[in-house]
Amino acid sequence: MTDHAGLVSAAGAVQRRQIYADPAVYEQELERIFGRCWLFLVHESQIPQPGDFFRTFMGEDDVLVVRQKDGSIKAFLNTCTHRGNRLCRADRGNARAFACNYHGWAFGTDGALVNVPLEKDAYFNEIDKTRFGLVEVDQVASYKGLVFGCFDKNAPSLSEYLGDMKWYLDVWLDAQPGGTALIGETQKVELMTNWKLPVENVCGDGYHLGWAHAGAMKAVQSMDFSGFTVGNASVDLEGGLSIAGLNGHSLLATVDGVSGYSFYPDNAGILRYLEQNRPTAIERLGRQRGEKLWGSQLNLTVFPNLQFLPGLNWFRVYHPKGPGRIEQWSWAMVENAMPDDIKQRILDNQLLTFGPAGLFDNDDGDNLAACTEQSSGWRTRQIDVHTNMALGRSGPRPGFPGDIAVGVVSEHNQRYFYRRWQEHMAARNWRQVPQYNLNPLAGDEALADAG
Amino acid sequence: MPADTRVMLPVDQHLALTQQLYCEARLLDGERYADWLDLLAEDVRYQLPLTSRRFRADRSAALAVGPGYVFDDDKARLELRIQRLESGLVWAEDPRNSARRIVSNVEIYQVETDREAQVYSVVDIHRSRIDAQQRRLTAARTDRWRCEGGVWRLVSRLIQFDHPVVIDSNLNVFF
Ligand code: FES
Ligand SMILES: [Fe+2]
Repeated sequence: MTDHAGLVSAAGAVQRRQIYADPAVYEQELERIFGRCWLFLVHESQIPQPGDFFRTFMGEDDVLVVRQKDGSIKAFLNTCTHRGNRLCRADRGNARAFACNYHGWAFGTDGALVNVPLEKDAYFNEIDKTRFGLVEVDQVASYKGLVFGCFDKNAPSLSEYLGDMKWYLDVWLDAQPGGTALIGETQKVELMTNWKLPVENVCGDGYHLGWAHAGAMKAVQSMDFSGFTVGNASVDLEGGLSIAGLNGHSLLATVDGVSGYSFYPDNAGILRYLEQNRPTAIERLGRQRGEKLWGSQLNLTVFPNLQFLPGLNWFRVYHPKGPGRIEQWSWAMVENAMPDDIKQRILDNQLLTFGPAGLFDNDDGDNLAACTEQSSGWRTRQIDVHTNMALGRSGPRPGFPGDIAVGVVSEHNQRYFYRRWQEHMAARNWRQVPQYNLNPLAGDEALADAG
Repeated sequence: MPADTRVMLPVDQHLALTQQLYCEARLLDGERYADWLDLLAEDVRYQLPLTSRRFRADRSAALAVGPGYVFDDDKARLELRIQRLESGLVWAEDPRNSARRIVSNVEIYQVETDREAQVYSVVDIHRSRIDAQQRRLTAARTDRWRCEGGVWRLVSRLIQFDHPVVIDSNLNVFF
């Protein structure tokens, strides 16, 4: 076991580059982060019917998520219990059973072993099929449409795990009756990056926007996004918040109620949708969230590897494939209350901006890969990287859970992300992982709503 | 339509259009985007659908609201992508990377209107990026080309991408 005390500084403003390249660190992450945390599996909308299945990963473990006959959802290791073959090779679909390619063992959608070829002739009817069902993921639970799995029986419940982050997640998941959905096929991109780098890029790095995406911002002239300018010449910090200190979860939030849709070439229809449905959002979420957050550009991060951006409407999970490689999976997300033409435009715009050929996304891959590659040299990996922007400038805000720094250009959230990473890496079990939901909203929301 | 009922173009037109495909590849390899745009009809549609791997027997319906496209571009949107690439601010392309497009398996057939042709081809794009990195992207293309005043222009291109996972850190390329 590596001693991680020295890899991330106590103040959280420095990380040793080794954490992006070291195979031993990565092995420990598979155990203590991906083997312990609640990980996103699928959106309920993606497997609506009994027998619908979706193949995904938890860390490097291949997992099959299946809608059951009674409507519940189970998740299994996607491996045959006979000789270990991969059971299902399709990305998704509907099945009545899964038959293994190797010797033909067949499993029901509930994971039970239902057929063994030559059971009588070769096994002499002596095989106890009940012992060879698929191996289930230890815990599976949903939060408002998002299905998560966890390999640790001793993990806190999903609800506890999400903690006060639920208050922010609801801005997207619960603003309108009918909830949300993910649409379109999975957009898969292989990136030669350590998995932590895209997470920190989205969880807190507003700093790179005006610079890394300058080409896209210049081409998409209609852009007006919270005071950012091409080339990072200036930024208006008043328009947003960096919010962290929520069990490792975090968000960047603009607070104008409309800027989420500012990247759309013609957003009149969407602004009308927001206007028409805002009373409902306020009724369901209160004024703070209904007015200020719903419709705003938000970057939401559920530790460790799930991120989604209401407004730009992409939803993304990073599957680690070794210390220096990931598969990034994205979808477009919509509110079910949206009219079909808006859903279609969201899918189209999400692909244009953050799809595999996305005008913005295509700027990020090389930067993330290069940060990873520059961590592998023997001498280079011994030096540090820094997240010291606006250090010590955070605090509570009435009405908003979390420890909050002003502006979306800050490295506040990255510091909390690495703090949480270190807490997990150092802990031998869940009892040693601190739970914190800083500035709990109790009372404050009503106070702020009244004011 | 089975292959044997298809009618090929007169040989001179066939040759001209084949040359056009190679020329197009050379323009793109050379990042001569303005010249490439000139080869496109005003009403061009350029599409690369998203796909997933399904069992052959699987008849589960695709989800509502369409499957989505990696590219679903008209001419204005292709111009937007090119404006980005030519802004001088796309750092991933500076220094420039090199790409070689190999166009192969070309089949050209007449369609009802004799001013248009249906063209099938395969494109193999070799990208050479940063130090020793090599990436190879392979796709099949179903095109419609139209002869306008003696010049063949691309009217539509449907790209069938063979990679379920995009194996490169960006798709700053046209197929
Ligand atoms: S490995 Fe699956 S049936 Fe033998
Ligand atoms: Fe970015």
